[in-house]
Amino acid sequence: MRTSQSVRQQQPVNMAGVGFLRWAQALPKRKGSGIAGLLSGARAASGPSKDTILGPFPTTPEERAAAAKKYNMKVEDYEPYPDKGEGFGDYPKLPDRSQHERDPWYQWDHPDLRRNWGEPMHWDFDMFIRNRVDTSPTLLSWSSMCKQLFGSLGFILLMFYLGEIFPFYQAVAPKQYPYNNLYLERGGDPEKQPEEVKNYVI
Amino acid sequence: MVTLSRRKSSTTRYFTSSRFLSRRQTIMADYQEAPLASRPKTLDPSEYFNLSAEKRRADEDRAAIRANLKRQYQTQLNDPHRKALVDDPALTRWVYARANPYPFFRPTFKTSLLGAMFGVVPLVVLYYVFKTDRDRKEAMIKAGTLERKFCLSS
Repeated sequence: MRTSQSVRQQQPVNMAGVGFLRWAQALPKRKGSGIAGLLSGARAASGPSKDTILGPFPTTPEERAAAAKKYNMKVEDYEPYPDKGEGFGDYPKLPDRSQHERDPWYQWDHPDLRRNWGEPMHWDFDMFIRNRVDTSPTLLSWSSMCKQLFGSLGFILLMFYLGEIFPFYQAVAPKQYPYNNLYLERGGDPEKQPEEVKNYVI
Repeated sequence: MVTLSRRKSSTTRYFTSSRFLSRRQTIMADYQEAPLASRPKTLDPSEYFNLSAEKRRADEDRAAIRANLKRQYQTQLNDPHRKALVDDPALTRWVYARANPYPFFRPTFKTSLLGAMFGVVPLVVLYYVFKTDRDRKEAMIKAGTLERKFCLSS
């Protein structure tokens, strides 16, 4: 009896089949609908821990406090994105200010990014780096900039348009050929006398 | 015999009188920042007005958080036994957040509209545009009306 049991245990079993069977048995008990109901809700232990991943939108003050602590912010400063189903979760809504605006003389931990270690990053941080979008105060007013840009562009386009209507180029005439407008080369009869073509006026 | 004539309007007029400002100068109340750009800190009224003890305390709390993070970073940075990179949990959270918005996605009017506008409409529109253009060209070729010059670019 004992030998037959151990022999049975040593028989190879298809773990993929076992996994599929268990998944199929657990399927009716799942909560989600659609694709969310088919996927497993568990994460691998090799992934990030619960306090580093994005959480759901905080509804109670305790959740807000916990989220603020997670993101190293004061509870008063913490403001999540409005819950409109856009996928932000509890990520904080930081002011849309580019890294250009930060103090260039302060000793940042990462000077090129003008950011300290552990500081909450803007959702669009990769847009606001110093090579890209700049939100620092402009030197000129908006109206002034618009006037200059559209004024010059408009003038250029206007001049192009006028140039199309009134073309200006060196005066040219149709090309004149010798030998009675190349009578023989154009297949004229060598016996017949061609009519005289005078391409000049003296 | 200089008579001081006090114009009544000058006593009641606000400082935004153009007599005191040349054409280029703007005062803080008149400054209008460009859309999506920020205001210079020297022209920000909250720096000058509404300064209270609460604001001071809030700034100190923020500085305390910042100092704590700096201490953590410097400790790890200058640790002589450290061989690996210093991990930044804020960076991990940001990367994870950007890569995994799906659990928090909900089909609403706005998200469905965006999905349709950027995902479905270009496909359909481009299909119809290309199809009609090529069918028209094919019909012209069959009828012999298309001018087919020898030209390397179409």
